[in-house]
Amino acid sequence: MPEFALVSRPALPHSPVGDASRVRIEALPEGHVLHVLAAGGRDITPEQLASLGDGTAHAVRRYAPGQWFVVGNEALGSKEYREKAARLGADAAVSDQSHGRVRVAVSGSGARSLLAKGCAVDFSPSVFAVGATAATLYNHIGIHVTRTAEDGFELLVLRSFAQSLWEDLSVNHGEH
Amino acid sequence: MASLIRCPHCGARPKEEFTIRGAAVTRPQPDAGEDAWYAYVYLRDNPMGPFDEYWHHTSGCRRWLVVSRDTRTHETYGVRDAAAVAGESRS
Amino acid sequence: MTAYRLGQGGRIDRSRTLGFTFDGTALSGHPGDTLASALLANNRLLVGRSFKYHRPRGVVAAGAAEPNALVTVGSAGRREPNSRATMVELHDGLRAESQNRWPSLNWDVGALNGFLSPFLSAGFYYKTFMWPASFWEKLYEPFIRRAAGLGRASYHADPDRYEKVWAHCDLLVVGAGPTGLAAALTAGRAGAEVILADEASEPGGSLLFDSASVDGQPAGQFATQILAELATLPNVRLMTRTTVFGWFDDMVFGAAERVSRHVSQPLPGQPQERLWRIVAKRAILATGAEQRPLVFPGNDRPGVMLADAAVSYARRFGVGVGRKVAVFANSDAGARTAASLQAAGINVVALVDARVGHPAAVTVPRIFSGGVVSGTSGSRALGAITVRHAGGEDRFEADALAMAGGYSPRIHLACHRGGKPRWSDAHQAFLAPEGLAGLTLAGSAAGARTLGECLSQGAAEAAAVVADLGHTGTAAQFGAVDGDVPEGSVRALWHVPGGKAFVDFQNDVTVKDLGLAVREGFSDVELAKRYTTTGMATDQGKLSNVNAIGILAEARGVSPAEVGTTTFRPFYTPVSFGALTGSSTGHHFQPVRRSPLHGWAEKHNAVFVETGLWVRSSWFPRQGETHWRQSVDREVKTVREAAGLCDVSTLGKIEIFGADAAEFLNRVYCNAFAKLPVGKARYGLMLREDGMIYDDGTTSRLDENHFFMTTTTALAAGVMNHLEFCAQTLWPDLDVRMASSTDQWAQMAIAGPLSRAILQVIVDEDLSDENVPFLAAKTVSLFGGQLEGRLYRISFSGELAYELGVPAGFGEAVADALMEAGEPHGICAYGAEALGVLRIEKGHVTHAEINGTVTAEDLGFGRMVSQKKVDFIGKHMLEREGLVDAERPRLVGVKPLNPEQSFRTGAHILAKGAEATLENDQGYVTSSAFSPHVGSTIGLALVTRGPDRHGEEVVIWNALAGETVPGVLCDPNFVDPSNEKLHA
Ligand SMILES: [Zn+2]
Repeated sequence: MPEFALVSRPALPHSPVGDASRVRIEALPEGHVLHVLAAGGRDITPEQLASLGDGTAHAVRRYAPGQWFVVGNEALGSKEYREKAARLGADAAVSDQSHGRVRVAVSGSGARSLLAKGCAVDFSPSVFAVGATAATLYNHIGIHVTRTAEDGFELLVLRSFAQSLWEDLSVNHGEH
Repeated sequence: MASLIRCPHCGARPKEEFTIRGAAVTRPQPDAGEDAWYAYVYLRDNPMGPFDEYWHHTSGCRRWLVVSRDTRTHETYGVRDAAAVAGESRS
Repeated sequence: MTAYRLGQGGRIDRSRTLGFTFDGTALSGHPGDTLASALLANNRLLVGRSFKYHRPRGVVAAGAAEPNALVTVGSAGRREPNSRATMVELHDGLRAESQNRWPSLNWDVGALNGFLSPFLSAGFYYKTFMWPASFWEKLYEPFIRRAAGLGRASYHADPDRYEKVWAHCDLLVVGAGPTGLAAALTAGRAGAEVILADEASEPGGSLLFDSASVDGQPAGQFATQILAELATLPNVRLMTRTTVFGWFDDMVFGAAERVSRHVSQPLPGQPQERLWRIVAKRAILATGAEQRPLVFPGNDRPGVMLADAAVSYARRFGVGVGRKVAVFANSDAGARTAASLQAAGINVVALVDARVGHPAAVTVPRIFSGGVVSGTSGSRALGAITVRHAGGEDRFEADALAMAGGYSPRIHLACHRGGKPRWSDAHQAFLAPEGLAGLTLAGSAAGARTLGECLSQGAAEAAAVVADLGHTGTAAQFGAVDGDVPEGSVRALWHVPGGKAFVDFQNDVTVKDLGLAVREGFSDVELAKRYTTTGMATDQGKLSNVNAIGILAEARGVSPAEVGTTTFRPFYTPVSFGALTGSSTGHHFQPVRRSPLHGWAEKHNAVFVETGLWVRSSWFPRQGETHWRQSVDREVKTVREAAGLCDVSTLGKIEIFGADAAEFLNRVYCNAFAKLPVGKARYGLMLREDGMIYDDGTTSRLDENHFFMTTTTALAAGVMNHLEFCAQTLWPDLDVRMASSTDQWAQMAIAGPLSRAILQVIVDEDLSDENVPFLAAKTVSLFGGQLEGRLYRISFSGELAYELGVPAGFGEAVADALMEAGEPHGICAYGAEALGVLRIEKGHVTHAEINGTVTAEDLGFGRMVSQKKVDFIGKHMLEREGLVDAERPRLVGVKPLNPEQSFRTGAHILAKGAEATLENDQGYVTSSAFSPHVGSTIGLALVTRGPDRHGEEVVIWNALAGETVPGVLCDPNFVDPSNEKLHA
């Protein structure tokens, strides 16, 4: 069936909500999300991890002991994925989660207070600096948060929960 | 309302992020015999005071933890990664 | 009593007028008024009826402790019963109604209870509603239900939004009175992150009505100046209208912010209320002290109120509570009150000081040293009082009585985590427990008695906290306090003997009731509380508890220390369900998980069903189908005869990596996995340690050290947690790592004799049985190399079938392509219902059978359980007597003898001819469905010795539905028992 058109249906086909001067919620491109799992006892160097990324800041995000997400805006073909997955050899496994997890950006001066309406994490800059990450809950939905700027956060959420997270954020957006 | 567990990997998080499994009992060796296995599967202490439990940081790092807490006050004395605890008890 | 608006003074905005109604009468007030102050300004003294005797009641307090002035505010979905008029801010258009009266506040039928009061004493309910037992349901309970509660809840949905928010700080200061302001200023200047919360609309606490001055400034101005400096500190967050209601484990405080209650409806985007969870490194309670009422005959008559309330109404709200005000006190607070009222231009007619030999420093027409108020009179409001003193009794006119019975520090929050209050003889009050980790008290909450002490204590405590947290700062210094009148010595005066003297206004508990409780053996404070209901009303005894303890102590002849207090628990004041629920209501009650094929299913007219959080396609009605069975029967037949496509994306999927992954699987499954070849799938059974089956699914080996596991939808999360438990705590030495990939894959089952031909249209590799045999699992190329997918030849229906996984975003496009390719072959979409029928026809089990009581042997999987493996989860309990009993219920098929007859899941199996009793019960139907293939209802059942009884006639008995159907036990594999179709 060569006439098949490879169309991906986005999990969040929504225009951004709000404006950047206060707080803005935006679905990011469904590029790539690689879940890196280090073999027991192996140290993975920041350079090794960075080699999986696309060179942009905060492409590598700590998730748990020995586990990271590597994210980017470009979709990877299966060849590229396999090539990256092989790069760390036996040191780490790489699970392709490019379709399994969706990224949402929350930015603006009100971003912190919007996040506080669902997250127990302390996002004050002295505790949660740019580059810091946390796997946590937004209300009842599991998310992985990364601070990408003073007033910028990225939320990584399982695809099946993405619509509910979007709605929760939009409802709480309210006053901003 | 809330209480916080200090995950050694994630920091202080509300208990909603965790799943509690119960007493941190050690699984017997395969040849431990019927009594040991019966005790492992069915028998539990119910202490008033310090107690070690398995908690899973389900909505965080997904690590299993051993939470030592006082069942009277819910004061937590310590939270350790369960794999590290298992390593200690083995060596 | 004649209350009135003073000609000047107060913090109200007299330039603007607000209209409101009370019981339908139009009244007016000013911005800055509470409903209580506005009612008083309008001389509306009678504001409610008491709970038990329906006695007329007026405003007693000026803040959160108000027991009497409970009103219903608002209408429809915004109706709030039991609102304290002292906490309701006046706004234009406010509608308030009195409660607990019928037909009207002035003429209330329930007041007849007052005449019955000799029979309504303590323990009345316990004594009266005992017998006859048959009266309980029909008479007593409805009566109590009608009498119980105060205002009535609305039946309308709440139209407003509520929020829950987390906050973090170095220091939480509870209360923005003088102590709290001093503490916040000290910590704020030192650079600490400070949250200063106050339940009032305006911060300042007692400074808003205190007649003292600080550094030459009136107290109110002094507060304004401190607040102005706090506003310049970005690290200090002031939260007004915010009640900190609880101190929870690990320094989490709960607080309710009434964001929009002071306006008729929330501003755009604003919630009605906000529930805060504040994580604080340290906290200072600057909650002040509660003035206690005095307990004397007739002390509940409207017009009798707390002395500080009378002063607050005069100085903060510009309201005179009476034209002839008397003051009754057991300390210097009496003279202080009289002076403050006089300074506000209010006529004070008498000062009654219970102490002897404390000359008053005020000029009042009547001063009684060593006197007590022994009675009050007036029909619906105070008209006169009687004073008993050494020289006899005096009765004179008074339309308001300000009472000052000493102070009880507000220590509620300090006791929420189990600490017990301590009685202090010096303070004649209970103080907070000692040695509280992370929390200290300062100011009146700690027993301070003067404004100067409050300011210095607040600053000193905050300085100590910030130093402890590593900040540098010094305690804020303030100028000299002038006009500070300490309370002086306090005479313990728990009650004045005589007539009916109320201890708990809201629940109508009198001194006599407490005496009765002691005489009847309920003298323990916890028993007395429940027996008399003192402190059990919505105010939780803020004004009554300490007096009740004092009276109990007197009756028992012991110190209040020995009586002790009842247990303090959150909440400090009532918190609305809306705030506690937050945004988790209606559509947002819980998250909804959507399959990546949701859009595809919608296009095919799916009917959806909630399965846990998932929304799954249940069946796909086509034109002309009016009953779900028509659709499901068609879908089942189409799969058996041609092909169908089903969304199975909700099954749990786990990627398992590592050098020891195979060994790990060998330990978590009861069957062998170590030697599973690469490119193959295998059905696996997981047991619990007690030997019962936990979950089932297929696991495929994609590479030497990479497996792909599927779980049931229901237990996807549970299995992941279980595997992580096994890997991390049981066998941390194994190299095994897991990643959930449920959401990564759109997974579709393509089932039916024509499925291969249809799949071959989109799959580039040859799908012949030689190349992709039963249980093959491999990565395939799709659409001429445009996409990669994972193909598994597995079957739940018993037909030739495949599962194809593609990256989720492409799921809909791939499903569309398969439907297009399958159209000439008659493909149909089928849903969870048809899937259920297909698997029952094939005798495949789900969690209907794997219900926690079954072993592998019970379901016919006995031979799967490895005898060779030394260890696996569940192995060690399997040989127990009960688990190998030959009589155990085991899986068997069942169908009705007469195909026209039907039965339901849950029906029980009886031997033919056996009486229908539980003793004769032989098992039960776990799953049932109409089978288009068999042409009747069929079922799977767990029946004792079931597999040995194929062909035996039985009775299918459903006592609940009253159905008895003759049936026959049979092979649970109703379709293609030799599995020829499966291997085609
Ligand atoms: Zn954690």
